[in-house]
Amino acid sequence: MTQGYTAGAHGAEHHPEIDWEAVERSPEFRELIRRKKAFVIPATVFFMAWYFGFIILAGYAPDFMGREFITDGLTVGYALALSQFVMTWVLGWLYLRQADRVFDPLAVRAREAALATGATSDRRFRRGAITDEPVTPSSTSEEVPRS
Amino acid sequence: MTVIAAVNETALAVFAVVVGVTMVITYFASKRVATATDFWAAGRGLTGPQNGFAIAGDYMSAASFLGIAGLIFLFGFDGFLYSVGFLVAFLTVLFLLAERMRNSGKYTIADVLSYRMRQQPARAAAALGTLSVVAFYLIAQMVGAGVLIEGLVGIDFWLAVVLTGAFMIIYIVAGGMLATSWVQIIKAFLLMTAAIVMTIWVLAKIGWNPIDLFRDARAKSADGEAYLKPGLFLSTPLDTVSLGLGLVLGTAGLPHILMRFFTVPDGKAARSSVMWAMVLIGAFYVMTTALGFGARAILGKGGEEAAGPTGNFALPTLADELGGELFLAIIAGVAFATILAVVAGLVISASGAVAHDIWSNIVRHGRDSEREEVWVAKIAAVAVGAIAIGVAMIGGEGLNVSFMVGLAFAVAASANFPALLLALTWRRFNTTGAVTGVLFGVISSVALVVISPTVWPGPDSEGGALSWYSLANPGIISIPLGFIGCFLGTMLAREPAAERMFDELYVRSETGLGAEAGTGLTLTGRRPGARTVAATTTTTMPHL
Repeated sequence: MTQGYTAGAHGAEHHPEIDWEAVERSPEFRELIRRKKAFVIPATVFFMAWYFGFIILAGYAPDFMGREFITDGLTVGYALALSQFVMTWVLGWLYLRQADRVFDPLAVRAREAALATGATSDRRFRRGAITDEPVTPSSTSEEVPRS
Repeated sequence: MTVIAAVNETALAVFAVVVGVTMVITYFASKRVATATDFWAAGRGLTGPQNGFAIAGDYMSAASFLGIAGLIFLFGFDGFLYSVGFLVAFLTVLFLLAERMRNSGKYTIADVLSYRMRQQPARAAAALGTLSVVAFYLIAQMVGAGVLIEGLVGIDFWLAVVLTGAFMIIYIVAGGMLATSWVQIIKAFLLMTAAIVMTIWVLAKIGWNPIDLFRDARAKSADGEAYLKPGLFLSTPLDTVSLGLGLVLGTAGLPHILMRFFTVPDGKAARSSVMWAMVLIGAFYVMTTALGFGARAILGKGGEEAAGPTGNFALPTLADELGGELFLAIIAGVAFATILAVVAGLVISASGAVAHDIWSNIVRHGRDSEREEVWVAKIAAVAVGAIAIGVAMIGGEGLNVSFMVGLAFAVAASANFPALLLALTWRRFNTTGAVTGVLFGVISSVALVVISPTVWPGPDSEGGALSWYSLANPGIISIPLGFIGCFLGTMLAREPAAERMFDELYVRSETGLGAEAGTGLTLTGRRPGARTVAATTTTTMPHL
């Protein structure tokens, strides 16, 4: 069926027993993607804009970047460069927080819903797949459609 | 460099300690590493913080430690631009690739790139991208190692290259990714400690006010005000933008960095390892302010001769000025550990491309045993290491190191990054697109660097093979070409199977459903819990 596509024993393991298409269409998965995009796209646009704003100023406005402010010796360019460090750490921390609070519980729900609706042929698989990432009960119990 | 020749024995003793510690680790690792997952992914048993240290150790090369300090020493602000780009790049990795790599890959970036493609051509393309990046990066590091060790310890260039190559091969062949990871973790710890000590020392020397770094450096520079402004090193604005683009996207295409995400148990650990790496790498690059501007403020113009034309010896000279012979020897030892950790990471990713992608999946169609795969990986590591030693010795000290590193980043950003990102996010993307994209990226970045003024230095930067082309950094042209290659190739062919399998890759990369299990390997044994999970998962997943 997928001749030439699956890499025998040594590629990343494929799992034909899972109905991937059904999972992709599930409301849980769609919600996960929606929430992820709502964070990642604006955050990426912001950091790219802030970073390239800095780079473009460094390239085309060296005199502005060399201007000293607040105190003698501290340039606008260096202050903006430091702001890139702060931005990287803050955005990283926000992403991690969002992932722990929102993305992970949604990913667990998407996986559970997929497996619960009989998307896999092997019942035992459910245990194996879910236990490879420990899940706190509180994050999964709310409004999970279990059929 | 007269001071440096005098410290021969002290530096050698520090080097011996570094080698001794890493060899003990390698010995422990060699007794544990058994399976292919152990060999390439350290059994996926590293924690987030451990992998964060290892990423920092894998990423910050001698070019970061000595090169950036040297650039700042010589050119002021422009050197710091590199520090910024090298750090911000990790946001690209965190937002777009880290967790997805862990969730959908096994050992190499080709696993992710070729997941829903025809194996042979897609893996060949991915292996080409990986091996090109590794070739340029590795030769640059080896030549840099030779030059540095020759300058710092006084042994011959060729001997320094051979020793570096030999240790790197021993780590990998004996201890695989487990030994490599721990060498990188220790190196990151040493590098951070050295940077912190030097920063405090520099600040103490100038009177604790960080702003005095700039004031004193400006006073000691022939360029005066211009030293604190952009433009001394990067004089063409478009080149500055092109460099910035190459840095921020290049990291997300470096095979030895992306491979590190296969060493943790899950996506959560993958993303937390990026955060740890960002804290360490960011803190280090902030400290390059004190190291670089501090070197200028303390050494002044008198240090320029000792620092050399590339500035690489500015930091060792500063160390000598601050703490004398012993401190210089320690800094030299840290630089040595830094190089060893990076070259080991590069060679293990090359061994993955050769053994896992080319041999196992292309030549043997996945029908070889895991034992054979690991053996081929070890042979590949020896071969790649030997070739790198040979090329570094033939190319010799004259080889332009910064151009090779720039080329590695350009190829990573133009060939690997577009194809990887589109494989994970664009349903229509197919094998033809992946192949043409990687080819466009590799060929355009190599060709543009070959005709650039870096290779054909003309009078006052107006050189180059072609009079109208003066960019030293190809990113702004080659990265769009990489994406265009992916797009055009995709449009040339229809591949329903690749589109159908997109759902599988998409769900898997975003949720971790079906992700590869680990073996629970650690340096001191195996975690029983993790092993059970691996066993449960493999025995209950029917392979049709």
